[in-house]
Amino acid sequence: MTDCGCTKAKAELEEFLHDELCREDAADIREHMATCADCSGEHEVGLVLTEAVQRACRETAPEDLRSTVLARLRALQASH
Amino acid sequence: MPTALAPTTFPGRITVAELESALMITPEGDEPTPATSATPADGAVPPADGAAAAVDVDAVEAALEAVEESTGAEPDLRSLFEEQALPYMDQLYAAAMRMTRNPADASDLVQETFVKAFAAFRQFQQGTNLKAWLYRIQTNTFINTYRKKQRDPYQGTIDELEDWQMGGAESATRTSGSTRSAEAEAIDHLPDSAVKDALQKVPEDFRMAVYFADVEGFSYQEIADIMKTPVGTVMSRLHRGRRLLRGLLADYARDRGIAVPVGTTTKGSTK
Repeated sequence: MTDCGCTKAKAELEEFLHDELCREDAADIREHMATCADCSGEHEVGLVLTEAVQRACRETAPEDLRSTVLARLRALQASH
Repeated sequence: MPTALAPTTFPGRITVAELESALMITPEGDEPTPATSATPADGAVPPADGAAAAVDVDAVEAALEAVEESTGAEPDLRSLFEEQALPYMDQLYAAAMRMTRNPADASDLVQETFVKAFAAFRQFQQGTNLKAWLYRIQTNTFINTYRKKQRDPYQGTIDELEDWQMGGAESATRTSGSTRSAEAEAIDHLPDSAVKDALQKVPEDFRMAVYFADVEGFSYQEIADIMKTPVGTVMSRLHRGRRLLRGLLADYARDRGIAVPVGTTTKGSTK
């Protein structure tokens, strides 16, 4: 397997995606992706996956949960 | 100097009755404020039954504050809690849905989380990460109460599952750029319900790591604190969770005739 920085980039892509790399390492990845369609494509899939999860996980708590919680907090306070 | 009989520190749990009786015999009667007149004189050790007269006024005031905190000032603590913590309800509910996988248990879990958080709110250090603190409580509550009654079918066989389910995933990284953009395109167009279903199939620890990182944007360290695991474990759970998810989504897309590179599917040659 030829290595043009792909091995390092692929290993760190997820940390890059989650903004866990130090500035230098992040810059290296960016630089590598600028010329590597393979890695930038992989990164793109990662981004789309993250967005899909974010979209799918959006929820609004039921209204009665809100009122139940408020009531319980008040009751808790009153019992002190 | 407080006398030997006077408490040097009030434990904070002093009752109102104790406090009132202490204040009643200060020179000013029921006036709690005048500090100077109540300064105990050296050598003025009172007889045993009058011990409280020599009470250190600073300590009385500190105790008074403590009592106020647990009684009179409580509405403020509650409104502070409501103001700061309740805005996270939708997010905690969303996480609870991913944990329990059903609305009734999710509601119960969120309720318990808020009740516990409120009870412990005085220990919360203002200025630190409240959201992470709430998630820590919710995660603990989930593990202690809910996980027991709903055994994850995959729990305990996670490693085997990963091995066969991920069989093909590795090759995904060697597919060409064009098929990869087809994969991105497919994922992008999947309905939320498909992503939710896929998430529910991912083992809980992996799923929650993905949730905390990708939905909540917590750092690896924050996730490690919430899940009480080393950062390395967080990274591995996250990596495996995302890989599984990606494979499941590719399966879903392919089952519906959407072209996705074969390497990404979880349905390997084992079938």
